[in-house]
Amino acid sequence: MLSPLRTLILGAAAGCLMIANPASAKEQLVLAIGGEPEQGFDPLLGWGQYGNPLFQSTLLSRRADLDLEPELATAWTLSDDQLTWTITLRDDARFSDGSALTANDVAYTFNAAAQAGGRADLSALKEATALDDHRVALTLHQPRITFVDQLVTLGIVPAASRENGHGEDYGRHPLGSGPYQLVEWQEGEQLIVKRNPYFYGQTPDFERLVFLFTGEDATLNAARTGGVDLAALPPALANALPSHMRAVTMQSVDNRGIMFPMQPAQGERAPSGALIGNDVTADIAIRRAINLALDRPTLVDVVLNGFGRPAFGPADGLPWSRRDEDIQAPDLEQANALLDAAGWQRQGDGLRHKQGQPARFRLTYPAGDSTRQLLAEVSAEMVRPLGIEMQPTGRHWDDIQRLALHQDAVVMGFGSHSPQEIYYLYHSQHAGNGFYNSGYYANPAVDHHLEAAQAAANTHAANRHWQAAQWDGETGYGVRGDASWAWMVNLAHVYAVDTCLDVGDLGVAPHGHGWPVTANLLEWRWTCD
Amino acid sequence: MNATQPRLRALACSGFVALLLLALLSGQWWLGDLPGRMQFDARLAPPGVDHWLGTDALGRELWARTLAGLGLSFQVGFLAALLGSAIALGLALLATLSPRLDALVRLLIDTLLSVPHLILLLLIAFALGGGLQAVVIAVATTHWPGLARVLRAELFQLRTAPYIDISRALGKSRGFILLHHFLPHALPHCLVGALLLFPHAILHEAALTFLGVGLSPSQPAIGILLADAMRYLSGGYWWLGVFPGLGLLLMVLSIERIAHGLRRAL
Repeated sequence: MLSPLRTLILGAAAGCLMIANPASAKEQLVLAIGGEPEQGFDPLLGWGQYGNPLFQSTLLSRRADLDLEPELATAWTLSDDQLTWTITLRDDARFSDGSALTANDVAYTFNAAAQAGGRADLSALKEATALDDHRVALTLHQPRITFVDQLVTLGIVPAASRENGHGEDYGRHPLGSGPYQLVEWQEGEQLIVKRNPYFYGQTPDFERLVFLFTGEDATLNAARTGGVDLAALPPALANALPSHMRAVTMQSVDNRGIMFPMQPAQGERAPSGALIGNDVTADIAIRRAINLALDRPTLVDVVLNGFGRPAFGPADGLPWSRRDEDIQAPDLEQANALLDAAGWQRQGDGLRHKQGQPARFRLTYPAGDSTRQLLAEVSAEMVRPLGIEMQPTGRHWDDIQRLALHQDAVVMGFGSHSPQEIYYLYHSQHAGNGFYNSGYYANPAVDHHLEAAQAAANTHAANRHWQAAQWDGETGYGVRGDASWAWMVNLAHVYAVDTCLDVGDLGVAPHGHGWPVTANLLEWRWTCD
Repeated sequence: MNATQPRLRALACSGFVALLLLALLSGQWWLGDLPGRMQFDARLAPPGVDHWLGTDALGRELWARTLAGLGLSFQVGFLAALLGSAIALGLALLATLSPRLDALVRLLIDTLLSVPHLILLLLIAFALGGGLQAVVIAVATTHWPGLARVLRAELFQLRTAPYIDISRALGKSRGFILLHHFLPHALPHCLVGALLLFPHAILHEAALTFLGVGLSPSQPAIGILLADAMRYLSGGYWWLGVFPGLGLLLMVLSIERIAHGLRRAL
């Protein structure tokens, strides 16, 4: 109801910004990439969970090829028993109020984040201790190879004990050592930031950035009127750009797939009260048949307008995912044979039945997400010839959590630069942990591989265990094993970018359309006069 | 001749709407799964010989989806109008029983009329979690006050009619008078009220669904078709919005015409 009004207001506001400040094209960028954080810009509560928190700096960062590189840390070592990280900090880092960033701030950030219960998983952290002004030790309870990802994603905040230190209102008034500092945040409308004069790194090309938080329609309208310089676009609209903008795609590991409830329905309930289990999807033959029936290239073509690639696992192409996981699909013949052998017989209603149970279940998707809706509808159509009826059902996220999360198949998306996500998705310990492993998947052999990966001596050894969890020749969470998901597509994120803006090499984005595009913000250049 | 003209006009309109309804209702049967059938090689095809009203982004025939959508809208409109009129009639009859009940009914009517009904509609539909049932309840519970006020006024006028006095003098109970005098008198008014409520309900169903708190996005409701069309209009795919919109307009206008005709005829 509000969107046309909001479109007008924001369009006018964006227009006024451009008119009132005609020379600002090089000084100011207007971005409409969505992703406004509900809890503000506090890293302890989840801000910047995929890295590059803008206002804050992290200890390490990832290059476009995902290799680690120094950021606040100039050196980092892991002890032989893999229980202590020792980090050496650069000595020229300052917060945007001019005060120096020290090891105390780093220790405070890690200790406080471990207690805050935000999205940063610091359960493995025993204690963070400042050894001196520029060295900090992070001690773990047990070896965890993925702990290094926290060094890449957790933005460092000023210790609460200092002036302007971290407090309850920090999310609304963030103070950090990142390239930009906050000027104004009008929730639901826009965020204005300006350069941090004390930033230790390369000075950004643009003095000010304005982030507009608009819906799809408003974003497109603003792009047409020249009100934004870079805007996130749904793939379906990528061909309808105005002449002063071009479509730029950012490859991603942002995937979408069907999460299957793995347990039969026995009336059990999750702590949230939601029912657990589904008698149809608990049958491995059904899950494998669906995996075989999905025509993934067509899904990419029809739903993503070609902006994406087929997905067969949660981390396709990343070092911790097997490269031989691609299956020959669609193969309806093999899928039908699997179902026949498992005792699912076709009956008069066109559906397969087994012991009186029809092969019918709800395929739930968040109602406001047009991409997931299309994926649900098209995949249901692809599976129908097998005699399996997936009923696409749109629900609000609250309803999904309350009613559907553990008993319906759900179109979900993940994708991370860390294999920690694999651990969350498939370890039985995380069954029912929010959206992770919401299908209550449990396989002791997979658990064993995942634990071995976490305890591995180095990343290469860990990757072998991560891959074995997917398929070890006998079992695994992947399509040849338990087929606990039917992964469908990896999205390419599409942005409308002003033809004068050079955004450089965007790299590979994790889950979440929007903020990941700012990862290489310091490389962005304005190429027109 | 002058007296029969409105009746004739209403009759003609009724005939037209009956035909439309026949197509819509029988469509549920003969359309089968056509509204949902995808043709990946004919996505976003413009109107033509092969695809009468064009196809949508998944290659589904727009004429079939529009018909199915109008059928759904009719269903919602019918149920909401029925429920809304029943509430209005029930409360109007209740108001005649005692001054206290009348005060209560008036308070209810005034309270509901004082709140913008679109906001109330959205709140109720959202609170009930969306879906057909939620839309019907939301529309019915927000649209009875107008009709209830008219019916109440009618019945209060009737209370002083000589034949009601005679009935009371003959010792008939309040219940008897309610059922045998008030109800038959109120029913024709109620029917017209329901018919006037009908197009209103259809439009609100489309609006709620368009705004995302109505029917499921997987159902080919008119609101869903129009919301989908919004996404593609800028690409020049005009048929996605024009035909479902026209269909809705025709149906609403026809039913409204009948209601007005009937009101004049009565």
